[in-house]
Amino acid sequence: MKDFTLAVQRFDPSTDQKPSLDEFPVLFREGMTVLDAILQARDYADHSIALRYSCRQASCGSCGMKINGRPRLACYTQIAELKSERVVVQPMDNFPIIRDLVTDLSGFFEMHSALLPRILRSDESEMENPTAEYLMSPEQLDRIHQFTYCIKCGLCTSSCPTVGTDSDFPGPQALAQAYRYTMDVRDEGGAERFQLLDTQHGVFRCHYAGSCSAVCPKGVDPALGIQLLKRHVMSARPPRAKGEGAKVWKKEP
Amino acid sequence: MRESRLMLIQYVTAAAAVVLVALHLLLQGVLVPYETAISFGTVLASYRSIFSILFLEVLLVVVLVHGFNGVRIILQELRQTLAWGRWVDLGTVLAIVISVGYGTRTILLAVLVGPSA
Repeated sequence: MKDFTLAVQRFDPSTDQKPSLDEFPVLFREGMTVLDAILQARDYADHSIALRYSCRQASCGSCGMKINGRPRLACYTQIAELKSERVVVQPMDNFPIIRDLVTDLSGFFEMHSALLPRILRSDESEMENPTAEYLMSPEQLDRIHQFTYCIKCGLCTSSCPTVGTDSDFPGPQALAQAYRYTMDVRDEGGAERFQLLDTQHGVFRCHYAGSCSAVCPKGVDPALGIQLLKRHVMSARPPRAKGEGAKVWKKEP
Repeated sequence: MRESRLMLIQYVTAAAAVVLVALHLLLQGVLVPYETAISFGTVLASYRSIFSILFLEVLLVVVLVHGFNGVRIILQELRQTLAWGRWVDLGTVLAIVISVGYGTRTILLAVLVGPSA
């Protein structure tokens, strides 16, 4: 691979009418990621390029952006794998742009939070002052394990066609997490979540495009979780109501 | 009505429509030759059989409910206001009632006041 051109979308909503692309020549080195390329351009060509990043190891989910038209993590995408002499980086779709590659994720986190992504139980005193442990079998963990890998990067939501047309749709990330907590055998909040999901703009607005699963950098399959969630919402019975919750037991102290 | 119930109706009518439309097409050109199927005598005879009448009525209801409910789902995504949602729901119910009513009227006219065989 030889040196290449990095095209960065520039846009400041407070001053610009429409986005434009600025091009920067970048010196290629073995193992270079898109994030490295952007930082090279920022360090040596234009200090004003705005981007968000932190861990550089696909753990924090900060550097989500559109790379050559596909939502990806910049720190997790090697320049070599793109096989292109021109790499175009743009902010994620379906989010308001703050500046250049930085998008506003506040609505995304509000949707996530609205669907109660936490263990809900009636025995709050036991949770606050535990006297024993709630255990989970490996089989029970298997059903939700992949969904616990979500790093809330927003790539799935940026690729979702329904989010693009329906601003009240929670999006694949929030729905997959709703499934993850509803299927957790320690959870008792399924019925409460179903009230939030069984609406005109709720879980049934997913038309199973599957793009969320295709772009997830952590291998999570949100589309699968959403389809399974639909089945539970349609039966209006969270798993615990079917007796699955009875398998939760307390380890004797 | 809850969205999950409306979607259950959508899925059930979709499955039913596949069977009913397939059966309808089989009787209108595959098992029965097309020229025979649309001949005056055959059409008239179909309105003299209670099974045929019920089949046409069920086909009418299933296809219209599935179609208009599908349009409702698309329209719901266009805007996110409560008022829009209610108007779309109301329009869907009206469209189904009027269309099923008109289709049923056509079937009844053919049954009750059509020419005798």
